[in-house]
Amino acid sequence: MLEFVDAYASTITFMALTGVFAYSFYAVLVAGQLSLAQAGIASAAAFTSSLAVPAEPLFGVVPRLVVGIAVGMSVGAFLAFLLGLPVMRLRGVFLAIATLAFGEVVRILLINQSWTGGAQGLSFPKLVGIPQAWLALAAVAYWFWRLGGSRLGRAFAAIREDELAARAMGIDVSRHRMTAFVTSGAVAGLYGVMLAYFVRFAEPNAFGFSAAVDGLVTAVVGGTTLFIGPLLGSTFLTWLPELQRAIGVEAGWIRPFVSGLLLLLVILFLPGGLAALIPHRRRGTMTHPDAPPDLPPLPAPGTPIASLRAIRKDYGGVHAVRDVDLDIAAGEIVGLIGPNGAGKTTLVNIVSGLVPPSGGEGTVVGIALGSGVPAHSIALAGVSRTFQQIKLFNRLSALDNVLVGAHRVSRPTLLRRLVLLPSARRDEKRALGQAFAQLTRVGLADRARLPAGDLSYGDQRRLEIARALAAHPTLLILDEPAAGMNHVEAQRLSVLIRALAEDGVTVLLIEHNVRMVLETCTRVVVLDFGEVIAAGDPATIARDPRVVEAYLGAEDDQEETA
Amino acid sequence: MQQLLNGIFLGSIYALFAIGFTLVFGVLDRLNLAHSAVFSTSAFVGIELVTRAGLSIWVTLPIIFVFGGVLGLVIERVAFRPLKGRHDAHFAGLISSIALGAMFLALLQAGFGPDTRRFPPDAFPQQRIEFAGSTVSLLQLVIVAVAFALMVGLTLMVSRSRLGRGMRAVAENPHAARVLGIDVDRITALTFALSSALGGVAGVLFALNVNSAQISMGTSIELKGLAVIIVGGLGSLPGAMLGGLIVGLAEVFAVTYVGSSWRDVIAFGLLFSILLLRPQGIFGARKVREI
Repeated sequence: MLEFVDAYASTITFMALTGVFAYSFYAVLVAGQLSLAQAGIASAAAFTSSLAVPAEPLFGVVPRLVVGIAVGMSVGAFLAFLLGLPVMRLRGVFLAIATLAFGEVVRILLINQSWTGGAQGLSFPKLVGIPQAWLALAAVAYWFWRLGGSRLGRAFAAIREDELAARAMGIDVSRHRMTAFVTSGAVAGLYGVMLAYFVRFAEPNAFGFSAAVDGLVTAVVGGTTLFIGPLLGSTFLTWLPELQRAIGVEAGWIRPFVSGLLLLLVILFLPGGLAALIPHRRRGTMTHPDAPPDLPPLPAPGTPIASLRAIRKDYGGVHAVRDVDLDIAAGEIVGLIGPNGAGKTTLVNIVSGLVPPSGGEGTVVGIALGSGVPAHSIALAGVSRTFQQIKLFNRLSALDNVLVGAHRVSRPTLLRRLVLLPSARRDEKRALGQAFAQLTRVGLADRARLPAGDLSYGDQRRLEIARALAAHPTLLILDEPAAGMNHVEAQRLSVLIRALAEDGVTVLLIEHNVRMVLETCTRVVVLDFGEVIAAGDPATIARDPRVVEAYLGAEDDQEETA
Repeated sequence: MQQLLNGIFLGSIYALFAIGFTLVFGVLDRLNLAHSAVFSTSAFVGIELVTRAGLSIWVTLPIIFVFGGVLGLVIERVAFRPLKGRHDAHFAGLISSIALGAMFLALLQAGFGPDTRRFPPDAFPQQRIEFAGSTVSLLQLVIVAVAFALMVGLTLMVSRSRLGRGMRAVAENPHAARVLGIDVDRITALTFALSSALGGVAGVLFALNVNSAQISMGTSIELKGLAVIIVGGLGSLPGAMLGGLIVGLAEVFAVTYVGSSWRDVIAFGLLFSILLLRPQGIFGARKVREI
């Protein structure tokens, strides 16, 4: 064993360092971001630390490497933050290329500085060996392990799966993406410093495009949905060349060929990377699915929840919503009906803050509508919604979907999880209780473990409702929840909605199934061509000639075909 | 003036390379990172054809066009088609094309060794032409002519031909295209073939221009290619041409006025500012997300 460690000391150290680097990619990939700036950030961190690391331990006690790491991680986090400010608006490939360009610019800037030694590079003292490298890897892996089950970890997963739905659940997407970015920068900085003080040398050119690609490959091969992924990736890619050498496959070209081939096989046949080979346990049962007892009370019936005055929305020359007045009071079930293109979805997008109005004034759960109001703040204030086109987090389990919904009523747990405080566990249990209670409410408790994407259409609609309910909303907006449901299912949904209202939830229901709306709602608003053409109790609406003409047309069986 | 011309020569090679890149992205929304391996491989094979088989460069170029096309078919079949319908196809496609590209380069090393290779001195007439006070080699003129002929031909094809219509339909909406009876797999494969054929020709022209070819020659042009397609607008053919010229000219002028060590900062600085000011590029259209 010891002989093995001696013989492969450098490989064993590299394995840990490669793992740390891969975690810097994992840090952004878990939140669905692809950044390639890490190599540049790592090199900037390494060179900066060379300026700060003293010749002797600081104050005689702080080891030199610790100073280097502190400086490197701060520089990394700071650079990532600087980069994040402008590029946070970009997505997907654009983000990848912008970050790549940033990394290249950093590289070229460093080459043209004299204090970095330019293209000749710089010597570093040897401060890192196997213990230091593995300690760093363990610390980083521990962080991401504890991140996994925390509220922050779930928010990242939600952003990765569907940004818009995450926003509608009260998650501040920009801030979370920036958090992922800065974390990634700090880990990249750690890598840069560790690497330089291990190989005792650094040159800017070693941190170019290929280095960034290698890091990405390590992270993706290992898998980006489980914290152990980067570790598996680095094990695989570090030992592969050693293994080939050991069995005598040495000819210059065979090694890269076999590496490429294996990489290709892993990526083609193991979706989810090597981590997919690890059987993972999904939480899915709970003995006492109790909603937490300490949720704040919902407003008393009759309290104004939303009030819109002359709200307008124009798209170019199209007036999607014109001068709509709408008041919603606590305890009501307001139905919103109208023909296709009447502006119903635009109106609820305005109410839920996803779309700013072009004119008019409105207040929803105490927040004035306007272009400066982010959607997540309205969600946090108590507006929860479902979508006409189902927007679930498909790869997450049904339970995890609902747990994301509980974002608003749960507390951040990551920091407490890191130090294993029991209160974090209590909070997680509390969130689980809330989630299970909602799954039970909509009748999906037995399907909690299944990935949301595998559920039937009707179940997906109900899961969206459970997710929205988990936020303990004051106002629940349902955008065509019965679409695609048969008569019996729609009936059951109607019963559920009325039960919710009895529990104090205010409901705004958009639906084409007119019979269901008339049966369920306490008040109905009819839109046509963006204008309110009638409003009143269901019985009045059903008799209103304008409504019959505009919406039902000449036929009386319109609701069957809707 | 001389700088202007040099910038145009360099830029037209960048453009040719970037067009292949952007063609695949425009139609399939995927970045094919094996494109640079096609570039290097074709350059080596081109040199081999001229040196060993004694073919003239005029015969070699069409052969390389076909050879690149075949590589493109292989890339599509091996690295992209198996990923179809997978939710992580975006990341996975990046990685699988990197892997396949690395395999191409390994094979290249197996066949030709790690050394730099060159065209024989008489591969191309060494004629030079005086033009408005500057010297231009016949070779450079031919590079520009070939690059532009291919670009114009491609643009015409995409806008006029049946295949081009198919490509645009697939780019717009693959599902709808399939419903309309378009053979999406065939269009996809042909797009890759065409893209790699252009990448291959770009490789040979580049090797002629600098008169050397290394296995790693693709890496730096890959970065330039990314800069070019962002500057011009992802998926836009005229954008890639203009972007190529802009990046080529910017580099040449940067070397003259700022110094060669800062050359690449210009390309990436340009790329970065375009991304921030106009993420859709000069010619790109912004796609609106549905709610």
